[in-house]
Amino acid sequence: MAELLETSIPKFAAGCRWGGTVEAPVVLFPEGAIRVEGTGRIILELCDGHFSLAEIVQKLETQFRLAPKGKIRADVQTFLEQLHGKRIIDY
Amino acid sequence: MTKCSNPLALIAEITHRCPLHCVYCSNPLELTSRQEELATADWLRVFREAAALGVLHLHLTGGEPLARPDLADMIAGARQSRLYTNLITSGIGLSHERLAQLVESGLDHIQLSFQDASEDPANWIAGARAHAHKLELAGWIRSHSIAFTTNLVVHRQNIEHLEEMIAALEALHPDRMEIAHAQYYGWALQNRSALLPTRAQLGRAVAVVAEAEERLRGKVRIDMVVSDYHARFPKACMGGWGRQLLLIDPAGRALPCHAAGVIPGMRFDNVRKATLDWIWQNSEAFQKFRGEDWMPEPCRSCDRRKEDFGGCRCQAFLLTGDASATDPVCELAPLHHIVEDAVREDATPGSTPEPREAPFHVLQEKMAGFWSYRTDPK
Repeated sequence: MAELLETSIPKFAAGCRWGGTVEAPVVLFPEGAIRVEGTGRIILELCDGHFSLAEIVQKLETQFRLAPKGKIRADVQTFLEQLHGKRIIDY
Repeated sequence: MTKCSNPLALIAEITHRCPLHCVYCSNPLELTSRQEELATADWLRVFREAAALGVLHLHLTGGEPLARPDLADMIAGARQSRLYTNLITSGIGLSHERLAQLVESGLDHIQLSFQDASEDPANWIAGARAHAHKLELAGWIRSHSIAFTTNLVVHRQNIEHLEEMIAALEALHPDRMEIAHAQYYGWALQNRSALLPTRAQLGRAVAVVAEAEERLRGKVRIDMVVSDYHARFPKACMGGWGRQLLLIDPAGRALPCHAAGVIPGMRFDNVRKATLDWIWQNSEAFQKFRGEDWMPEPCRSCDRRKEDFGGCRCQAFLLTGDASATDPVCELAPLHHIVEDAVREDATPGSTPEPREAPFHVLQEKMAGFWSYRTDPK
C-alpha cells in the first residue's frame, strides 16, 4: 500500500464521486456507496486534489480546537488509509 | 403486504444480443429478440423513475450492451438522473472513438470480462475470437479517468490458471478485479458437469486470491464471489428477494433477479405498462418471496434467515422443482443431498481437457459437443 505522507494529496480515485442529495450525500464507487456524515464528510470534502494531508489536518485542528493533540492527525490518517485500501481515495 | 426498503441498484439488461457465446452465461435459455427490445425513451424514463425511487447504481448489461447503438444516449440519460453508471461488457464493438463518446456521456465505471489467461483457451470458452481485442481495449480504458474492473469468471476449465490470470490482469492496471466463480443458472447450469470445480480446486483458488489481495492492497481491490455448491450455507441471493435490487430484461419485464423467469407461474409486470415505483411496491413477482412469510422450516426458525434470506429461490426451483423449498445448498436443507450428489457427479477433474495446448479452431473441432455454447437470440 502506498505510504501516506504529510505532503501526499488525497483525492477521489478514478470512478469515485459524490452522489445522493445535499441533505444526505453519499460517496459512490464501483459496486458500492457510503453515507458520510460529520467529520468524515468534512475530510472528504477536503480531498478535492487541492490540499495535502498536512493542510487537511491543519484545517481540522483549527475547526476542532478542543481535540487532544495528535488525535486529529491519527484519525484522519486511519480514515484515509481505510478508504485507500478500498480504492476510493488515492494519494 | 410486506413493507419494503427502497432498491439501491438497477440491473438493465438492455439487449440479449451478444457476439460472445460464453458457456457460463447467466442469461436465460430463452432469450429476448431484437424486435421485443425496449426503445431508448422507455429506458430513459425507467432510469428517472429508478433514481426517484432511491436507486444509486445502474448496471448496464446484456447480452452485450454495445449492441445497442443508442448506448451513449442511455448513459447520458442515466447520468442526468444522477445514477452511477456501470457498463458490463465484453468490449466487442468498442472502438477508441466510441469509448471516448461513452466516457463523455458520463460513464463512471467499466467492467471488462475475461475468460482465461491466454488467447486460445479464452476464445474457446467464449466461443469467439475476443481475447486480443480485450487486451488492446484495456489500454484505451486506462487512458480515461473512469473506474476499471476486470471480471474473470472462474470454473473447472480455467481454475488451475488462476494465478496466471491474476498476473495477466494485474498488468492491465485495473482498479478492481472481480473474480466470480460461475453461478449455476441458465447456460452454466446446462454445462455444470464441465464447469463445477472440485472442493480441492476451490480451496486452492481461495488461497491464491487471498495472497493476491494481500499483495495488491491499495493498488487493486479484489472482490471474489464463490459458487455456493461447496459452501455450508447459501448465498444471500440479490441481498434478499425484492430488498435491494431489481432487474429489467430487454423487453421491459421487471424481475427480482436474473433467473426469476425460470420459476413457473410467476407474473412479471412490464415497465411499458407500470411505473417502477408501482412495480417495486406492488408487483406480484416482487411480493412473492419478500420477507419471511413464504419460508418453510428449517428457515423459518433459523437465525441465519436474517443473513441469507433463505438463499436463492431460483436455485431452489432449478434443483428441487419447488421455488419455496429451502435452498438445497444449505446443509440444513432437507434436500441438501441434491447438491452433494451434483458435486460428487459433476466435479470430476478427469474430464478436464488440456485446452491450452491447441489453437482455438482445433479446440472447437476436437472438443465439439463438450459443452453447449450460448446461442444468440433471433
